[in-house]
Amino acid sequence: MKNDNPLSPHIQIYNWHISSLVSISHRISGVINYLFFIFLSIWVIFSFLFGQYYDLFNNFYNSFFGKFFVIAITWSFTFQILSEIRHLFWDFGYGFDLKISNITGLCVIFGSFIFTCLVYFIGRGII
Amino acid sequence: MVQINLPENSKIQKGKYYKDKTGSKNIRKVNVYRWDPSTGEKPRIDTYEIDMDNCPSKVLDILNKIKNEIDPSLAYRRSCAHGVCGSCAMNMDGKNGLACTKSHDEIKGDINIYPLPHLKVLKDLIGDLSTLYKQYESVQPWLKTSKKTDKENIQSKEDRSKLDGLYECIMCACCSTSCPSYWWNGDKYLGPAVLLQAYRWIIDSRDEDRKERLKKVADELKLYRCHTIMNCTNSCPKGLNPAKAIAEIKKMLATSNI
Repeated sequence: MKNDNPLSPHIQIYNWHISSLVSISHRISGVINYLFFIFLSIWVIFSFLFGQYYDLFNNFYNSFFGKFFVIAITWSFTFQILSEIRHLFWDFGYGFDLKISNITGLCVIFGSFIFTCLVYFIGRGII
Repeated sequence: MVQINLPENSKIQKGKYYKDKTGSKNIRKVNVYRWDPSTGEKPRIDTYEIDMDNCPSKVLDILNKIKNEIDPSLAYRRSCAHGVCGSCAMNMDGKNGLACTKSHDEIKGDINIYPLPHLKVLKDLIGDLSTLYKQYESVQPWLKTSKKTDKENIQSKEDRSKLDGLYECIMCACCSTSCPSYWWNGDKYLGPAVLLQAYRWIIDSRDEDRKERLKKVADELKLYRCHTIMNCTNSCPKGLNPAKAIAEIKKMLATSNI
């Protein structure tokens, strides 16, 4: 039977919670990491086969956009790892309490930024 | 499938504005989703000015006030008004809940009231829950036992306590309709409400059909569309935890030979 009744609004009106925000970011960062691994493989193969053009990638990484790219990928990785640890605990049946899941969600969000900064500072030799 | 935008016939229009006639100084604006199947028009948002000096504390009281004093054409479900029957589940201020237990004090600014998300609307705030009820039926929510005896089917205190946090569910559908996974795959994915019920029967010590029940629910789409978004637990007006119940089912499946 065809139903022509309207569909009630959903994502347009529903509030974001910490848990849903972390969940969708987990997916997006997962896709980004997946694409980055393809890029990484191309870079490695390219360096291996065409060593004389090494500078091509190197120049990209040293450009403003390249730096932004690397830092963004670092964030996406740290976020994915922290969120995955959270998921691992969930798979064992822990951390489903609303309060705890909100705290761990915040830990994932802030932790990912802190770790990104740490990686940056350590990489630059500042720490 | 994921469809972010609403279909053309569901786009919301600006509706009527009902000005306050009581001359009260304590006015709040309430925006209510309206759709009348008899007119063939698109859904609209009507705005009502409510005299808060003469309005009790819950959102349901506001709706009753609108229906009794301002606009009798407003349609919504309600029955017990004490958070027991689950009829008045709707989306208030961007979150699902029961209108009879949600205080309007908790809402800042204008009060927005919509039907439960991603359902076919029957009229105004009434959504069509027949798919959910069919799914509920599919988990066979009754005790199955081969024993034929006149005596009581006794359960120990520990076994009984396993049902705490599950038996309180009133099937108001707040959780299922808050779940993005259920929005996109509601025809196949069972959703938090039904899975919590499924778990309630799986762990009942008196039930003898545990293995079959687990087998039935162990499905890529029926169960594993749960990605622990936790909107269900966030929205449950009874403070239950469907996300945990689903995780327990997954755990049982991972540790048993099914």
